[in-house]
Parts: sequence; C-alpha cells; structure tokens
Amino acid sequence: MAGITDLGVGIGWRSEIDLTVERLPGVDFVEVVAENLHIGRLPESVTLLLERGVPVLPHAVSLSLGGADEVDLNRVEHLGGIAEAVGAPMVSDHVCFVRAGGLDSGHLMPVPRTKDALDVLVANVELAQRNLPVPLALENVAALLEWPGGELTEGQFLAELVERTDCWLLVDVANLYANARNIGTDPERFLDEIPLERLAYVHVAGGVEHGGVYHDTHAHAVLPEVLGVLDELCSRVKPPGVLLERDDNYPSDTEIATELAAIRAVVDKHRG
Amino acid sequence: MVTPMTSQGTQLTVEQVGYLTAGPGRAAETALARLLDAGLVRVSREGLVSAVHLSNCGAITPLEARTLSRARTGARFDQVVRSTAFSTEMKALHQDLLDRRLLQRPRHRNPAWGFSLTLAIALFLLGFVAAEFFLAVPIALLFALWQRGRRAVTRQGRQALLHVSATDRVHNVAVYGFCGKVNRRPVADEFGLPQSVVKMLPLKKHRKRQSSSDGGGSGCSSCGSGCGTSSCSSGSSCSSGSGCSSGSSCGGGCGGGGGD
Repeated sequence: MAGITDLGVGIGWRSEIDLTVERLPGVDFVEVVAENLHIGRLPESVTLLLERGVPVLPHAVSLSLGGADEVDLNRVEHLGGIAEAVGAPMVSDHVCFVRAGGLDSGHLMPVPRTKDALDVLVANVELAQRNLPVPLALENVAALLEWPGGELTEGQFLAELVERTDCWLLVDVANLYANARNIGTDPERFLDEIPLERLAYVHVAGGVEHGGVYHDTHAHAVLPEVLGVLDELCSRVKPPGVLLERDDNYPSDTEIATELAAIRAVVDKHRG
Repeated sequence: MVTPMTSQGTQLTVEQVGYLTAGPGRAAETALARLLDAGLVRVSREGLVSAVHLSNCGAITPLEARTLSRARTGARFDQVVRSTAFSTEMKALHQDLLDRRLLQRPRHRNPAWGFSLTLAIALFLLGFVAAEFFLAVPIALLFALWQRGRRAVTRQGRQALLHVSATDRVHNVAVYGFCGKVNRRPVADEFGLPQSVVKMLPLKKHRKRQSSSDGGGSGCSSCGSGCGTSSCSSGSSCSSGSGCSSGSSCGGGCGGGGGD
C-alpha cells in the first residue's frame, strides 16, 4: 500500500481538542472518526492539517462488518467519501458487530471466533472493499467476554481474515492488553499468529481498572504495560504508524505531548 | 484572583478590574482567561469550552470555580461567559465592589434631563425679569442633575482603575477583553483563540444616550472591543462618561448589567 509506509506518530483528531492537535509538536498524522464528519463540510481544523500535509485517515465505528445483518452500503459510501475528501490512502473499521435485529449496541461487540462467523465477516469485508475507493484495515477490539464455541484464537481468526480478503490490520495494543487482563489472551501469541507484514498501523490508548475489570476507556492515561505491548510489537516489526487515541476527559496539552513522546520513544528504540 | 493589583492604596483583583472596566461580562471573561492561562480549560475551534480533566481542581476564585464547573460538561464560549456573568458568584463580586464603594447603584439617564436643564436656564434668565423665578432655578437644576443619572463606577472606582496596567494576558483580558487589542494585536491571539471564537461574545448594540452609566452610546461590545482602547484603561475617556468603563451598563451584553 503506497503512501503509508511511514506515517510516524499520530493522534486521533477530535473536535474538542482540535486546536491542541494543531499545535502539538510531533504529530505526523491524524485519524478522524468518519461518522463524525460530513462530506463537503470538513472541519476547518482538518482542512488546516491537510493543507500542512498531515495525512488524515478515516476510522469508522459503525460498519458492523462482523454482524449477520446486511452491510449498510450507505455507511460504506460515506466512509469512502470521507476518504476521498481527505485524500486518505486507506480507511479502517473494527472486527466486530455493533447492531443486530435492528438494535444498536452502542459498543464494539466481539465476533464469535468460529468458521461460520468468519465466513460472514469475510463476505461483509469483501462487499465493503468492493465499494471503497481505498484499502481497508481492520482492528482487533477489546472484549469483556468470549463467545462460547470458539474454534480459532484471535490471531488465527485475523490471519485467516487477512488471507481471504487481503485486508490490512490495525492492531490496537491497548485492546490486546485489555483482553490479556480480562479474558486471559496472550498478546505475544497474538503477535506471533497475525501476518505482521499486513500491519497498517497501531493504536495506543489508555484505560482504567474498575471492579476487577480493565476498561479500555480512551479517557485515562496510557499504562506502561500498554507501551510494553507496543514495545513487543515493535521488536517484531517496524509499524508504519502508531496513533494515540483519546476520546474523553482530555488531559492538558503537555500530558498529551508527553504520551506522544513516550510512544515515539518506544518506536524509535527499535529503529536503531 | 491570584494577583492583587495595587493602585493608590486600593487593591483590586484582576476580576474586579474586569468588572470595573466593563461589567460582569468582562469579569466572567477574566475568570475564563485565568483558567485558560492555567491550562485548566481548553477551547476548540468551534468555540467549545471544556475542562482539562474532569475535576474542579485548580480554580482559585468562586468565579473560576463556577466557570470551570460549566466547562466540565462542555459549553460554547459565549455561554460559559454568560453563565458566569449571571451567576450568584458574580453577584457576590458585585456586592463586594458596592461595599467597598468602588461601585454604586447606577441611575439611568432620563432622556428629559436636557429639558430640565434648559428649563433651569430659562428660569434663570426669567429671573432678571421677575426675581421670583430665581427661586425655581435650584429646583430645576437639582431635578436636571437627578435625571442625568449616574455611572455605576464611583469616582473611587475610577481612581482605582487609573493606575491599573495590564501586565500579562489575563490582565489584558480584564482591561481590554478577549475582543480587544493590545498594541494592535488581538488579545485573543495571546491565548491562541481564533477570532471566530471570541466573536461569539455578543456585541452591544449601538444605543442612544440613555444615562450617564451608558455613556455616549459608543457601541461598546460586552466583550470589550469598544472598551479595549488605551484611553479606557487610563480612565480618562471613561470617566468622561463617553467610554465604557461604567461597569454595569457596558457589561450588560454579557452579564446583564450587574450594576443594577
């Protein structure tokens, strides 16, 4: 995939922190939530970043590609439209479903890791790819539960998804950490099993433990353990990009800059 | 506010300077400016003010606490200023200024005050024809003076402002407002705020001369652009009644006239 071989370190653009994102030193690229933008009426801040040559990558949360419902092509079209509007080399969504039976979960729900569920996911991904102007990357989600009857590990599931659809992977190391904490998955095994050569970029985010459960809130500081998973990933492959996600309880500009610097330090450590 | 400002023995906080300069709206702007300066709130391009972290920590004055509390849920720039300007905390600040005799209850100018003055002059001239008219002159003069109204800021308040100088960007907001300029540079620039954000603050409409506290209908904006001239900060033009430092009236755009 040409054009995203070296994205660098980035941050999720959110309207609440738009001026912060514009001013932060060392923001090499940003990601926007596609559902929050309107084609033809991009926020001034996003336009400004584009004018500066900062790559803007659309990230979707509502395609529900893991769901049994038919993919809503209007949502796919919107995602593609945003990609064209910002000149993005790729778009992304999650390996999850967010609606079923006409109800929206309001949450990224994990997909059962069965062959049948994979068939559904593959069909949906292929349909989306046919209707997108740019390549699609898919992200592993944080899960608080595992569906019974799983036939594949998460790594195997994603590896097969990549093999059958030729999609790219967006690896969220915070989600890997959350799953390790909550459902006992092994991040290292995950990294062993996925095709790292298909890594598009990486997400890093903060979270907090509450009631014995780790919540991937995107509203708390990034834990050192999450950076540890990033470190593990970087020891295996040079990620094209690493992006900090923060969605609420925004800290000061200084704290955000410090988190970006910490991420960059991990990435640079392996660049030797 | 953190930094007391001394002027001829009268200590003014920066919020008080804001209030005396242009009313409760300006004091509210000043509280917001201090929070921005301390990195406790941030403003987006669309004018959304949000708290940095969701705690109320860091607010020093009641006005700041009120402003920060409003920002916790996220609100538009102008709504945050307006909310603080109309708050009970602002009333307390106003009362304090009244107690210190830096402010007084303003009296609106009666449009007929000129007529009363003319009548007094006419009676005076008629006094040369019939001396008994002289007796009515003081009554007419007093009536004219009463109708002329009075500004919200007392002479003592104006004196206190005379030696106030803007020493940092928070003081700049107090004296000139977010919409004002210092050395031709917009105060908003000092906070990295786009003009589109600070222009959310309502502009006071040009008004006809209504009272001394309203001044001369100079079209002072509540956020201070009209007041943000050096002549205002020096107090000279304001004390003449044509400027905007009459406090409550000028702040009315944001704060509804706290002098009342």
